[in-house]
Amino acid sequence: MLPKYNVLTEEQVLIIHNESIKILEEIGMDFEYEPALKVFRAQGLKVEGNRVHFTREFIEGKIKLAPAEFTLHARNPEHNLVCGGENIIYMPGYGAPFIQLADGTRRKSTMQDYENIVKLAGASKNLHMTGGTVAEPQDIPDEIRHLKMIYSSIKNSDKCFMGSAEGRERAQDSIEMAGLLFGGKDVIKEKPVLISLINSLTPLKFDERMLGALMAYAEAGQAVVVASLVMAGSTGPAALVGTLALQNAEVLAGIALAQSINPGTPVVYGSTSALSDMRTGSLSIGSPETALFISASAQIARYYGVPSRSGGGLNDSKIVDAQAGYESMMTLMAASVTGINFVLHTAGILQYFMAISYEKFMMDDEMAGMLLHYLKGFNFDEDGLAYDAIAKVGPGGHFLTQKHTRRNHKKEFRTPQLSDRAAFDAWSKEKLDTNQRAHKQWQEVLANYVPPALDENIDKKLLEFIAQRS
Amino acid sequence: MKELFLELKQAIIDGDEDIVGELSQKVIDESINPVDAVQEGLIKGIEVVGELWKAGEVFLPDVMMSAEAMKVGLGLLEPEIAKLGMSEGESKGKIVLGTVEGDIHDIGKNITGAMFTAAGYKVFDIGTDIKAEDFVLKAQEVGADIIGASALLTTTMSAQKQIIDYLIEHNLKDQFKVFIGGGPTSQAYADEIGADGWAESADEAVALADRMLAK
Repeated sequence: MLPKYNVLTEEQVLIIHNESIKILEEIGMDFEYEPALKVFRAQGLKVEGNRVHFTREFIEGKIKLAPAEFTLHARNPEHNLVCGGENIIYMPGYGAPFIQLADGTRRKSTMQDYENIVKLAGASKNLHMTGGTVAEPQDIPDEIRHLKMIYSSIKNSDKCFMGSAEGRERAQDSIEMAGLLFGGKDVIKEKPVLISLINSLTPLKFDERMLGALMAYAEAGQAVVVASLVMAGSTGPAALVGTLALQNAEVLAGIALAQSINPGTPVVYGSTSALSDMRTGSLSIGSPETALFISASAQIARYYGVPSRSGGGLNDSKIVDAQAGYESMMTLMAASVTGINFVLHTAGILQYFMAISYEKFMMDDEMAGMLLHYLKGFNFDEDGLAYDAIAKVGPGGHFLTQKHTRRNHKKEFRTPQLSDRAAFDAWSKEKLDTNQRAHKQWQEVLANYVPPALDENIDKKLLEFIAQRS
Repeated sequence: MKELFLELKQAIIDGDEDIVGELSQKVIDESINPVDAVQEGLIKGIEVVGELWKAGEVFLPDVMMSAEAMKVGLGLLEPEIAKLGMSEGESKGKIVLGTVEGDIHDIGKNITGAMFTAAGYKVFDIGTDIKAEDFVLKAQEVGADIIGASALLTTTMSAQKQIIDYLIEHNLKDQFKVFIGGGPTSQAYADEIGADGWAESADEAVALADRMLAK
C-alpha cells in the first residue's frame, strides 16, 4: 500500500482546527430540531433559540469518543468492510435526479435505474458497496421511495448499503428493515450494518430532516457520515482555508451531537466542498479546488482520528466525454492517494451531481480499478526484484518467453476492463469511443448478473413490512 | 443634479450600497426629483451591470452586490415617490420569487432575483419554505406578472405543482405566469404540471420572461 500524502503541514491543520473552534464558540450554529437542542442543553451548552454556542472543551472531548475505524457488516460477510485506517471503500453516485443517456438525452431516473445501478455495483470488482440513493426513483411516490430503495439494495446485492437520511421516520424504517435482514435491532446495535449521509445546511446550520435521521441512527448504533458541502464563493467564503474552517466547524458539531447521543457512534468525517462558478453561481465539482478540499479533508480527519469521506469521480461535464474523464480522474485520484476512506460518488456522476450515466459508471469503475492497482504500490520480494530473470536474459535478449514473465505479469499488471489498447487498424474496424464501449459493456454486465439469493423468510418479512408501511 | 445621478449610477455599478444609501438620502434631503434619481441613476447603473455580465466582463458577485445596492436605493426613494404622489415609471415586469414549502435552499433563488433586478424587473423575494397560498397572496398584493418558485429537492418539487393547483382552484391561473426552477426540475416537468416557464439558469429565466411578457 502506498503511503498517503499530505497537502497541509501539521501546523496548518492546527490553524484550521482553531479557526473552526472560534467559529463554533463565537458565532455558533443553528440546529432546527428541538430534540437536538435538548441534547445540547443537557450537555450544558449555551443555547439561544436555535443557536448553539459550543466550547473547545466540549468539541475536543466529543470527537475523541468517535472510533478510529469500525466494521460495516454485509449480508455476505465476505463483503464486510472496515471503514478507517488504510482502507478505501468505493461506491456509486448518490442522489442524482436524472439519467444521462448515451445518445446525449436526459430523462428522470426511475426505480428500474436504481435497481440496475445496484446490480452493476454488485457485479463490480472495484466497487466495495452498493451505496444509497444511487438514482432518485421519481416514478415512486415520495412517501414510500425509501422503502423500495432499501428493499432493492438488500435484494439485488449482498454488499453493504446505505440507509435513508430523509428524516427520523425514514431512518427508523431503514433500521427496522436492516433489523429484519440481520436478525434483530439488538444484533445490529452491536454490529453496524447501515451507514447514512447526514448533510449540514451550509453555512452553519443543520435542518430537521437531517438531524432527525442522525439521532435515529446514533441511537440505534448505526454509522453516519456527517458531511458538509460548502460552495466556496456562495455558501462559503471565496477562500480555500476559510472554506475548510467552515466545513470543519459544521462536521465537528454534527459528530459531537452523535457522540453526545451515543458515545462511540461510528462516524465518518465528510466533505464534499467545492466551488460556486463565479459566472453563473452553479456548483462546480470537477475543479482543482475541489481536489484540494478532498485532500485536506482526508488529512484533517486523520488529525481527529476518524475515518474520512469525500466525493470520487466528480465532474461538471454534461456527457461522457474527455472533460468527464479528466476531471473525474483528478478528484478520484486525489481522494484515493490522500487517504479518503469512504468514497461516495465513485461511479456514475455527471453534471455536478445532477445526473447518473450508465456509461460514466463503467468508465469510473475502470478508473477505480486503475487506482486500486496504483494504491497497491510496489512489490519488493524476489519476484518483484526479478534479478534471476534479468540475469537469465542477459544483454540483448527479451523477457517474453521467461517463466517469470508468464507468472508474474498476472500479479503485477492490471488488465483493463474498458480501455482500448488495440492497434489503430484493429480499433478502426468498429471505431468505438469510450462512451460507445461502455454502453455495450453495462448492458452485458446487467444481462449476466445474477443477484445473490435472499432467504425466502427474510424476503417475506421485508415485503410485509413494506406493505404495512405503505 | 446631473452629477448626482451619475454618482448614483456609478455607485450601483460598483455595488456600493453605503454610497447608494448616502446619495439617495441626499436626493430626499435636497428635494431632488426621486423619479429622475431612480430612472437616471439607479436604473442606468443596473443596466450597465447587466450588459457587462452578458459580455462576460463582470462576475456573479458583482451583479448580486449591484442588485443589493439597487434594493437599498429603491428602499429609500420609493416611499418618497409614493409620498409625493408620483409614479415610479414602468418596470419591465414584477416577479414574486420564493423557495417552495418544505425547502430551505435559497442560493439559486437569490441569484435569480439578482439577475431579474439587473435586467430591470421589480423583484419581490418572499424567502424560503413558502406555502402555495402565500406565493399567490403576495403576487396579488403587488400585481405581479410572474410567480417564480424554486425547489432543490426531488421531494419538494411537488410543491411547485401545488402553486399551480392553487391558482386553478381559485380561478387565478390566467393572472400570473408561473415559472419554476431548481436542480431536479426540467422542461418536461414544467409541462407536466402546467407551469408557464422553466429555465435551467437565472439568465435563461430572464430571457424567457422577456420573451413571454413582450407578447
